[in-house]
Amino acid sequence: MALLDKKSKKAFSDPLMSNNPISLQVLGICSALAVTVKMDTAVVMSLAVIFVLAVSNTVIALLRKMIPGKVRIIVQLSVIASMVVFIDLVLKAYFYDMSKQLSVFVGLIITNCIIMGRAEAFAMQNGPWRSLLDGIGNGIGYGGILIGVAFFRELLGSGTFYGIQIIPDSFYAAGYQNMGLMVLSPGAFIILGLIVWAQRLIANIEEE
Amino acid sequence: MHSNKYTLIFTAVLTIILGFFVSTADSSLKDMREKNIEADIRKNILSSLGFKETLESPWTNERVEEIFSESIIGFVVDSAGSVIDGKNPKDINPDKDFKEFPIYKRVSGEQVEGYSIPISGKGLWGTMYGYFSIEPDGATAKGITFYSHIETPGLGAEVDKPWFQNNFPGKKFVDPNGKLIGIQAMKGGVDETSPEAYHQVDGISGATMTTNGLNSFLYEGLKNYDPYLSKIRSSLSL
Repeated sequence: MALLDKKSKKAFSDPLMSNNPISLQVLGICSALAVTVKMDTAVVMSLAVIFVLAVSNTVIALLRKMIPGKVRIIVQLSVIASMVVFIDLVLKAYFYDMSKQLSVFVGLIITNCIIMGRAEAFAMQNGPWRSLLDGIGNGIGYGGILIGVAFFRELLGSGTFYGIQIIPDSFYAAGYQNMGLMVLSPGAFIILGLIVWAQRLIANIEEE
Repeated sequence: MHSNKYTLIFTAVLTIILGFFVSTADSSLKDMREKNIEADIRKNILSSLGFKETLESPWTNERVEEIFSESIIGFVVDSAGSVIDGKNPKDINPDKDFKEFPIYKRVSGEQVEGYSIPISGKGLWGTMYGYFSIEPDGATAKGITFYSHIETPGLGAEVDKPWFQNNFPGKKFVDPNGKLIGIQAMKGGVDETSPEAYHQVDGISGATMTTNGLNSFLYEGLKNYDPYLSKIRSSLSL
């Protein structure tokens, strides 16, 4: 069996563009709004979600034939919650400052619809390898949008990129001002809306 | 269809495995986490007292420990403003000891360079914890830091950003008659021409609840230390 047969490839690449969890399925919006004021928090959040998605998808795919149907949602949640607690503990031990900035939003990964959605819709029906790819693919699809939103919000809202000042002082001297709206939640809605629009235009998707 | 017995056994086993996994992770990372928290609090005391982290000597946990033992003295004062002998800030449980207040002093040789007191109180979403530091005159703000809060990123969370904290140094928290007045963060910024500007700083737009909370708990916090600080003030004016 080839490592990447057609179906596996599709499991990985679909969520990147043509079936992106945020911009097409419009899932996981809450955290996409909350942690995208700055690039660094968006990047760490994306990595955390990729990890949780990949591991929980794989574990659930391995257990899929053993999980009793009646309690499957609770089982999925326990696996996901354990992974989230684990990543939170790792952040607190190794990246304390970052974990302070992300505060409650790491814990809120548990309630991110993408993760339970993938566990229920994909990992319960597919093997572990394909589920792993699906998890990573969805994680990257989620992270890509998060980082995209964060890029514009940080650039327009704070004039920086990854904490480094991009807008030259001469602009500010000439009367340029950071857009305060961008550090607030409405800024994220606007950017996200524009991204969804642009992507649907590019991917040529029409609502039925 | 699985039987009820199978379902019960399956969930029990899964719970035990996951519980074991999480608690192992928790206990093996506990020491590092607690060290980070401890060092983070000390970092806050240091930066509230004007120490600066530089690129050449970043504040690793060890470096923080070193600076702390070199130039910080911690002690405890009571509500009458007297130093309680033999008590260490570490002995104080803020949830129990309401009448005893820890305070940190920055010294360089015999010279006192500032005091730092813990402050805490309600913001919008939860309790905010930080340090407020005071010049040796006992009347002027030297700095402020926060090490724990759950305020909204980009709004209330701006309290831990330099632009906000840099407003504090030089502001007075007592009025010209020596009465405690606190420092108020003002909505829309400080009118520098106002006679009240000496105890006001720029507020955070969009974070009214956070700044109102800060204004009131900073005042309440200072009130606890006012007997001690007023002793310093009167000893200096004599």
